Amino acid sequence: MGFVHAQAWQAIPEAQLVGLVDTDPNLLKTLGESIGVSGFPNLDTALREVDVDIIDICLPTHLHREAAEAALAAGKHVICEKPLALSLKDARAIIDAAAAAKKQILVGHVLRFFRVYQKARQLVLDHTLGQIGTIKTFRGGSYPKGWHDWYGDPAKSGTLATDLLIHDFDFLMWCFGPVERVYAKSLAGHITGAADHVLASLRFKSGPIAHVEGTWAYPKGFSYAFEIAGADGLIHFDSADKGPIHTLLRSGSERNASVEVPESPVEISPYQAELAHFLEVITHDALPVVTAEDGYNALAVSLAVRDSIQSGEPVLLPGRTGGES
Amino acid sequence: MNIAIFSFAHMHAYSYARSLKDLPGVTLKVVADDDVERGRQAAETFGARYVRDYQDALKEPLDAVIVTSENSRHAEMTVAALQAGLHVLCEKPIATRIEDGHRMVQAAHDAKKLLQMAFPMRYNIPAARLKQQLDQGRLGRILLMNGTNHGKNPGGWFIDPVLAGGGAVMDHTVHIVDLMRWYTGSEVREVYAEIDTRFHPIGIDDTGLLTLEFENGVIAALDPSWSRPQRSFPTWGDVTLEVVGTEGVTHLDAFAQHLVLYKEIAGQAQHLGWGDDPDLRMLESFIACIRAGTPPLASGHDGLQATQVALACYESARLARPVKISQ
Repeated sequence: MGFVHAQAWQAIPEAQLVGLVDTDPNLLKTLGESIGVSGFPNLDTALREVDVDIIDICLPTHLHREAAEAALAAGKHVICEKPLALSLKDARAIIDAAAAAKKQILVGHVLRFFRVYQKARQLVLDHTLGQIGTIKTFRGGSYPKGWHDWYGDPAKSGTLATDLLIHDFDFLMWCFGPVERVYAKSLAGHITGAADHVLASLRFKSGPIAHVEGTWAYPKGFSYAFEIAGADGLIHFDSADKGPIHTLLRSGSERNASVEVPESPVEISPYQAELAHFLEVITHDALPVVTAEDGYNALAVSLAVRDSIQSGEPVLLPGRTGGES
Repeated sequence: MNIAIFSFAHMHAYSYARSLKDLPGVTLKVVADDDVERGRQAAETFGARYVRDYQDALKEPLDAVIVTSENSRHAEMTVAALQAGLHVLCEKPIATRIEDGHRMVQAAHDAKKLLQMAFPMRYNIPAARLKQQLDQGRLGRILLMNGTNHGKNPGGWFIDPVLAGGGAVMDHTVHIVDLMRWYTGSEVREVYAEIDTRFHPIGIDDTGLLTLEFENGVIAALDPSWSRPQRSFPTWGDVTLEVVGTEGVTHLDAFAQHLVLYKEIAGQAQHLGWGDDPDLRMLESFIACIRAGTPPLASGHDGLQATQVALACYESARLARPVKISQ
């Protein structure tokens, strides 16, 4: 995600990317040289050597708290990739540290900056679909490659439920408010050694029911889809449907060799829109589209889903009453 | 910057007026429309002054005019505005007769003012991305193209031969021909067209299947028909283009960025677009060109070239043989 954010920052005229921090000196050298930004082996050095207002944390999740607290203690605003942390305790500690430092902590729930999700939410809020009954979402594809395979280590990524499905949990809570209870199953929780594939059931306090599916077990690709069904209408979207640009390129000398390249370009990428918004929040004290509490609540649902997978029981969200309502 | 819209006869006027509202420092001052009710209503909706005769609007302190009248009236309004020292954004097709188109281009040249053609597809982000990829040589050399600009029967003056100058072929050929010219950098050398009225009980063509050849040898086909079912088709139509190059093939589906909505009271599925709005980007660019004094992305000349192809198609269909276009 660091690459994506670096590119997005460079496209925002009001921002200047002044430093990259990574433990991998080769990566720092190649990326740093290609975009003309200095690299630093650790945050302390960067904080000492460059004048900076915002630290954008794209580390594996288990390292978020330490980095966020260090940046906040140094008086910097923090933008943090989702999930905010791996535990509610760590998430709360980061939020408290920001409050103590009187600095912003903004969480990268980027779905809120995807046009198609914004449009879907608008159709929910303006009652085009009437009373919402069910929502089905899908997100996933092949197993993601990460630094030292951190996605595969629950102690680092918190599993698929926390790392990937938190996107959909946050989007759904943005539309439908707090979650009452969850129930979930997963392949990894079912068959030892299986690649993770989760089916989660969410009941919202406001009434709608959602089935959220996420996978790292597909042979290839990545896609996302949703369907929202209401009493007056239904919408659906699937990023795997043929998009606006679909290219087949000849590759190599073999007669039938080809590469397929689908594209769905927009003028401003969701990542750039997100970071530009966060910059606006920080510089003009504007209200963020996604708050740190939103990040905390999405994590709470992710952890409840993980708990349900482990226990085989429905999990009520803390602080809320259960029941049939 | 003060703008007038000359006639709301073409429905795109509403989208352009909405876009102007989103542009800083730009005001829609006047709506001129000989249809009093339509004009008054539009003026009220967009907070502009209404005049019946566009000649009266020319006396106002304006910078530019958007001409969205019936096709046959583009020429008189555009030439009058240019001669009054105003910049013009003209709806496509540029005119119904080629002599009119030439007069408009000449008037812009003489007045040293901007004449931009409303070819919003050049501002559609996927279509623009394809242009960028072609310029980078990603598909190699272009060999063949096959495009569609399907639609529904728009009714009204669009099916009046005098006011519209032609039916589906007049209405829809120019968008795709403009993209093809933009992508190839070449002009259409020859056309062969089969044209008919086969979908609707109207006195104008609604059916066209066109075959084109460009000066650089690229061959192409194009379907501009009003062939989408009026009620059950989920959207207004489409803009698609297959581009076959020496190194690969790209399919462009310019309005694929949509959600599908099934709404009980609508009785049909609907596509709801979520991509960037090409009309807004086109208006933004028109204003920016005026401010910077730079030439538009699609000029009167481009409008003339595209319309020449549509007119040659009618000629070809009449003669039932290929027709050459002389440059």
